[in-house]
Parts: sequence; structure tokens; C-alpha cells
Amino acid sequence: MKIRARFARSLRSTWYLVAGLRTALPALLGVCLLPLALLLAFGVPGLPWVAGRIRALTNVERRRAAKVLGQPILEPATPQAINPYQQYFSLMRSTAVWRDIGWMFVHGFVGLIVTVFSVEMWLTIPWNLALPFWWWTQPPGTLGAILQIYTWPQAIAYPVGSAALFIVIQLFLQPWLARFEGWYAQRLLGPTRRTELAARVESLTETRAEALEAHGAELRRIERDLHDGTQAQLVSAALRLGLADQRFDADPGGARKLMLDARTGIEDALAELRDVIRGIHPPILSDRGLAGAVRALAAGRPVPVSVEIPEPDRRCPAAVEAAAYFVVAEALTNVAKHSGAAHAWVSVRHDGPYLTVRVRDDGRGGADPAGGSGLAGIRRRVAALDGVTRIDSRTDGTGTTVEVELPCGL
Amino acid sequence: MRLVIAEDNVLLREGLQLLLTTVGHEVVAVAGSGPEVVPTLLEHRPDAAILDVRLPPGFRDEGLRAAIQARKLLPGLPILVLSQYVEETYAAELLADGAGGIGYLLKDRVARVEEFQEALERVAAGGTALDPEVVSQLLTRRDPLDSLTPREREVLSLMAQGLDNATIAATLVITERSVSKHIGNIFGKLGLPPDQAGDRRVRAVLTFLEAGD
Repeated sequence: MKIRARFARSLRSTWYLVAGLRTALPALLGVCLLPLALLLAFGVPGLPWVAGRIRALTNVERRRAAKVLGQPILEPATPQAINPYQQYFSLMRSTAVWRDIGWMFVHGFVGLIVTVFSVEMWLTIPWNLALPFWWWTQPPGTLGAILQIYTWPQAIAYPVGSAALFIVIQLFLQPWLARFEGWYAQRLLGPTRRTELAARVESLTETRAEALEAHGAELRRIERDLHDGTQAQLVSAALRLGLADQRFDADPGGARKLMLDARTGIEDALAELRDVIRGIHPPILSDRGLAGAVRALAAGRPVPVSVEIPEPDRRCPAAVEAAAYFVVAEALTNVAKHSGAAHAWVSVRHDGPYLTVRVRDDGRGGADPAGGSGLAGIRRRVAALDGVTRIDSRTDGTGTTVEVELPCGL
Repeated sequence: MRLVIAEDNVLLREGLQLLLTTVGHEVVAVAGSGPEVVPTLLEHRPDAAILDVRLPPGFRDEGLRAAIQARKLLPGLPILVLSQYVEETYAAELLADGAGGIGYLLKDRVARVEEFQEALERVAAGGTALDPEVVSQLLTRRDPLDSLTPREREVLSLMAQGLDNATIAATLVITERSVSKHIGNIFGKLGLPPDQAGDRRVRAVLTFLEAGD
């Protein structure tokens, strides 16, 4: 069975290489026409057209190679410019355009040779098997690549043996050739390390902007809570105390009532202040560190929670710890509210530059990452720190797993 | 009562001193930081101590750790812990020795002078005073308490705060006899035989602090 699968794979690889002629022949043609095209395009706004044709061809190869590579080849960005003059120079300077042309050379020649070689390797098998039927028509000793054939036993054993050998070689050679073609396509047509870094910078700039935005929104929320809640409560309490002061002699009973009202107001303000503080940074995190805080969080839940947190050798930035704490709190609340689970597991560990937090339960699953405000909140908070959230919640009884990875300083 | 206060905020410390001396207690010493607490207590041997959870130098849970250490060195020393926020883990740690004479209150409660004074006296007499907020956190979270009837939960909640039978009876407008009947049922359901060491009321509270862990 395994041999059969390998054989099928070998055949598929050959077909892939033969189908490669679809791009190899135009590439060869392109290589031949290129000097002419460049000559015509030089100084003439025909270059974008030429580059466009080349890009169309390489895109066909990108899609084709993706099949054998198992992953897509990302297309490099085409330089865009406002006027044809600039467009001309930016195309001439673009590494991606020159790499496309480089691929045309490689694929036009190497691709063609590889395909011919691949097909020829298959043809050796019937050629060998046919030998016993006509070897005697040739002068003795003229046939056979390595050994010469003089007798009948040789004429049967040698071709059959070599055919079998070739089949074994094919099982490994053909997939290797296909991968080779995919490999140079990837190297030449994929983004360079440089462009990958540029894309990373771009995504970091974006998440940084989102983080700043989230941070700003958080500041505004805190300001609003303090301004409209706590501050207003305190003002009204002070006002009541002022009134009580005025009435103190004339109406001691009324003054006392006002003072008691003021005290209630201050107590409410204190309660609100506590909530605001908890929202910014839970005090127990400062007291006990992440490990202690998460253990406190897990203790006394309606669902038993197993906690696995090694004492860390270093601490993450406060914002990262607060986010990790928030994720555990939110996930455990979800477990209690929705999962129907009998047990939950929390693990927090340092993986190189990352802090990985995982909360798993054995409940009914089916949590919708898009639906619940809790899960959306986790995603937002984690994304703001350039972290990754993975939510696995199928309904096949494997429960729900929420896993986040937070960068913890490099 | 002779008292020791550990509180780093000068305004609050003076406020507390003023309040306590007004109602007739004597503040024999004050400690301004975590490491000072235990030596001060050992030196003055007060009737009770009032400790803030967060103290210098670390502003973490120095006060709480000092309270636990002090109880080991001076068994049965009544300690009232004040905090800006309540955390049931802390309540469980404080009550862990099961001996009573422990209080854990939000700082806000100080403003209710009479209640605060009552709580302090209860703690000094070997009882408990848990902040209603801790108790409500416990009651909303705990599953093992499902076996209790609503009335028994009410009684347990008041008992956890540290009230005695007469006060519970007055609060719930029932007779003291039925209060003791409910408490007997609670002890039974939580599996607390009468012959074990330690205050059964404290242990009932502890049981439900530790339940589900």
C-alpha cells in the first residue's frame, strides 16, 4: 500500500513536471524575446506592459508551485507610481521584477531539461523491458549501457533487473524533481527576507496603532468613570457636608441626615473607585504576582480548576500580566456560565519570548469566538499587545480551549 | 483596650488613632512599615492589633504576612486586618489556624464608627469579623453550599461576618432558639463534629472558604 502510494505520488510528480511546460515554454520564449522587449521598452512606456506580461506568467507558476509546496507563494508587490515616468524607473529598480526575469531564465532552461529528463527516465523502463525481444538483431556486445549483453540469460536478467532498479529510483527521483522545481520557484518568486520584514513592520505598525487606539479608549473610559462617577459623588458629598455645616445650629436633625447622606455618597464613591482600580490593574497582581493572582482566581470556582504555573524566573511587563490575568478571569467565567464542564485546567508558561496562557475545560464546547462579548474582549485585549488568540471549541465533546500567546519582551 | 496600629498613610493613621482614643481605647504604638510590625507587637503585647494589608517597603501584602507571622509567635493575638480591597484568598489565609480572633474588613467600614468598633471588640473577644463583601463573594461562588436552605445560608452569611446568635436573631427577626437550630443544621451539613479543636463558628466559615478547592 505504501509502495502504491509512493508510486502514485511519483506519477503525479511527473505530471506536474510535464504540466510545467505550460510555463517553461513561454518562459523560454520570453527569454528569447527579452532583449528585443527591453530594447523596445527602453525609454518607451512599454515596460509596464512587458513587466505585466512577465508577472502574469509568474503568477501562473506561483499558483502551480503552491500545490507541490503545500503553501502559497505570496506575490511581491508591484511598484505603483503616479506617472509613467516614475513607473518606468520604479519597475527598473524593483527587485521583484528582476527576480521574475531570473526565474524565466532558470525555468526556461532548467525547467525544460528537468521535464525532458523526467519523461526520459520513465521511457527507459519500457525500453529495457523490450530488449529481450530484439537484442539478437544487433551485433553482440553493442547493447546495454553498463554491461554488454552476449547471452540469453543476460538478455533477460539484465533488462528486468535494470527496469526494477529504475522503478525504485523513480519512486524517489520524480517527487524530488518536482520539489526542486517548486523550490526554485519559491526562492525566486516568493517575497525576499527583506520584503517579509517590511510586511512585518507594516503589520506591527498597524497593531501598534490599534494598541494605542485601545489604550486611548481605555484612558477615556477611566477618565469618564472617575469624572462622572467618583468625582461627582465626592462633590455631592462635600456639598451635603457644607449644607450640614450651615444648618448645624438651626436644625441639628436635618444636618445629621445630610451628614449621613454624605457618608453614604462617599462609600459609593469608594466602591466605584475600587472597581476602576481593579479594571486598570487588579491589586492582587501587584501583591502576589501572576502565579499567585491566577491561583486566587482559580480557587473557589464552582467548577474545580487545576492550575499549572511554575514560579517565573522573570516577570512580564505589567500590561502583559494584566492581560493574562484578564484572559484567565474571562475564560473561567465563561466556563462557569456556559460550558457545563466538570473540570477546568489553567496553565501559564514562558515559551521563549512569549507568555502562553491556556484555559481548557471538558464541557460541551461550541463557543462562538465571534458571538460572545467575553471572547471578543479577550481577542481585542490580546491583539492590542500584538498577541495571538486561538479558540478551539468543537461540539464533539472535547470541550473548549482558549489559548493566547503574549509577547513578553524580547 | 491597648492597641497597636500598622498603617503607613499618616492621615489615615491619625484618623484611626483619633477615632479609637475617642471611643476610649489606648493606642500604645504605631508601625509604619511591614518589618516593624512583628517587633512592635512583641514589644508591646497589645490586646489587639489593627494592620493594613499594604505596607512599605514593597506595598504588597506585607501587613497580611506580618499578621500570619504574628499569630504564630503570639497565638491567639486578636488581629483586625484592613484593606482597600477584599480578596477571599486572604480571608482564607488569615483564618487558616482556625483559632478565631481575626477580622478582615474593607477600609470603608471604618467610617461606620459604631460597626467598626463592634467588629474590633468582637475580634478582641476571640470572634471573627469578615467583611460583608467577602461573604457575598463566597455565597455567590460556592457550589458545596447548595445543600443549605436559603435561611441557613442567610444565617451562615451573618455568622461568617462574625455576629453572635442574639444579633443574628434580631437581624432576621426570628427567635434565638431557631438561630441555634439553624446553626446546628449548618454544622451538621458542613460535617463539623462538636468535639474538634478550634472555634466551630470559625471552622464553619473556613469550610466554606476552602470548599471546592
